[in-house]
Amino acid sequence: MSTLVLDNGAYFAKIGYSHEKVSVIPNCQFRSKTSRLKTFTANQLDEIKDPSGLFFILPFQKGYLVNWDVQRKVWDHLFGKDMFKVDFADTNIVITEPYFNFSSIQDTMNEILFEEYQFQSALRINAGSLSAHRYFHENNSELCCIVVDSGFSFTHIVPYCRGRKMKEGICRINVGGKLLSNHLKEIISYRQLHVMDETYVINQVKEDVCYVSQDFYKDMEIAQLKGEDNTVMRDYVLPDFSSIKKGFCKPREEMNFTGKYKTGEQILRLTNERFAVPEMLFHPSDIGIQEMGIPEALVNSINNMPEEMQPHFYKNIVLTGGNALFPGYRDRVYKEVRALAPVEYQVSVVLPQNPICYPWEGGKLLAENPDFEEMVVTREDYEENGHYVCEEKFDI
Amino acid sequence: QLLKSRQDINPSQACRVRSQDPNQRRVLDSATRQRRLTRQLEALEKDNFQDDPHASLPQLVKRLPQFDESNESGKRRKKTRGDHFKQRFRKNFQTLLEEEDLSVSEGPNYLTAFAEPSKFPQRHFCAVCGFPSNYTCVSCGARYCCVRCLGTHHETRCLKWTV
Repeated sequence: MSTLVLDNGAYFAKIGYSHEKVSVIPNCQFRSKTSRLKTFTANQLDEIKDPSGLFFILPFQKGYLVNWDVQRKVWDHLFGKDMFKVDFADTNIVITEPYFNFSSIQDTMNEILFEEYQFQSALRINAGSLSAHRYFHENNSELCCIVVDSGFSFTHIVPYCRGRKMKEGICRINVGGKLLSNHLKEIISYRQLHVMDETYVINQVKEDVCYVSQDFYKDMEIAQLKGEDNTVMRDYVLPDFSSIKKGFCKPREEMNFTGKYKTGEQILRLTNERFAVPEMLFHPSDIGIQEMGIPEALVNSINNMPEEMQPHFYKNIVLTGGNALFPGYRDRVYKEVRALAPVEYQVSVVLPQNPICYPWEGGKLLAENPDFEEMVVTREDYEENGHYVCEEKFDI
Repeated sequence: QLLKSRQDINPSQACRVRSQDPNQRRVLDSATRQRRLTRQLEALEKDNFQDDPHASLPQLVKRLPQFDESNESGKRRKKTRGDHFKQRFRKNFQTLLEEEDLSVSEGPNYLTAFAEPSKFPQRHFCAVCGFPSNYTCVSCGARYCCVRCLGTHHETRCLKWTV
């Protein structure tokens, strides 16, 4: 009886057996202008020789699974003989869902897992609950923690107490990696080069070059300086897929501050975009989205909790999700929360080694937990009682 | 008016192109500006800005002969289920949200989890260069930081497409 842990994200699916390592695989299909007939699924992305103008087909919309056709195709590929070779009758599955998932989607998920794939048993859970489980496993003495999951579609701030999520405190900011990449595409297209079609390439740019600034206005002033004094400015070499396979950032020593470059590469010169784009996580109002940023929403969420629990939440803030990988993210969150929190409380912000796989690791621990057998719903259970038993057992 | 602009240097050259006569300059009202902003924000939610490369292919290409005849009987059973799913579950996000009918249920749900507007004032950035801006374009409400950026804005974006 093996257990497959699948953190079903809107961009990456983190999947692996609980006794093996995790694989991070794109959870979508791709179509390319060059290879016209074939649709690439998930990790077949590596086979595409020319990822320019890559067309994404995502099963998720605004963070919720709406397109089951695409999702089933991706899962067929992942569960099939090329990847994990799942023996359905002998496997449990732990699968994650977004918060406040719609009941129609939950029912469909039950049907697909039990009737189409026919897993032996299944556990549907929120990704943040797995992160909290992992955190409590490491810090046994703590009672409460608050998880900030900043992913592709949105950011959720969820308080957990004794392993259960507190629904009144859940806060959703509609800013995620997708918004940041699209915004970066727009401003580069307006200021320098038309890249609106190049989602994959600009995503790479964002990951390589963007960082979270500790002092926004000071960085803005530095970015306005000319020549060598402008320590913020970087040149990014775009890939042309013949000689340069993958874009990279030019090191400062090679940069040419006056005049143009002699070689024929395409260069993007990035100054304030480097830190203005991740700033949207902290101030969504910069772009016109009338919502609180992450630090403010954290404090707001904690203030909605009972008084006696509040100091415990401030002491255990956990950052997960892809956006946590921006350099300077953790320090900035700490600085802002410390400024907004009452002075007598201790504030501690934890950034795990691998924020993307943190929930998956929690799922792995959960699968090894002795209580696991009672938490899952078996196929026989489902066939007798239907959706009702899943609604009762799973706390979504 | 002409006399003044001849004395000015380059930055105001762009302003000369546009008529400064208040009667001729079109100004958008706040409702239109709000609609434009909403359109821009919705555009940021898109997955792809280009069209599907497979969209223009003729349908015949997809019905290539199957090479593996032996799998037919096993796959046939799955295919009917697949079509069934396709008809039932091809709904988009908005439809699903409405179906959920959250106004009826009590307690925290998807809609109540929405983050509230920030207590801090909104910061404004120049639409052209991205640095902090102090001024607003009279016609369309876009922000700019200096006269050179205003010139670029007028030439490229101001009122170039209507809502």
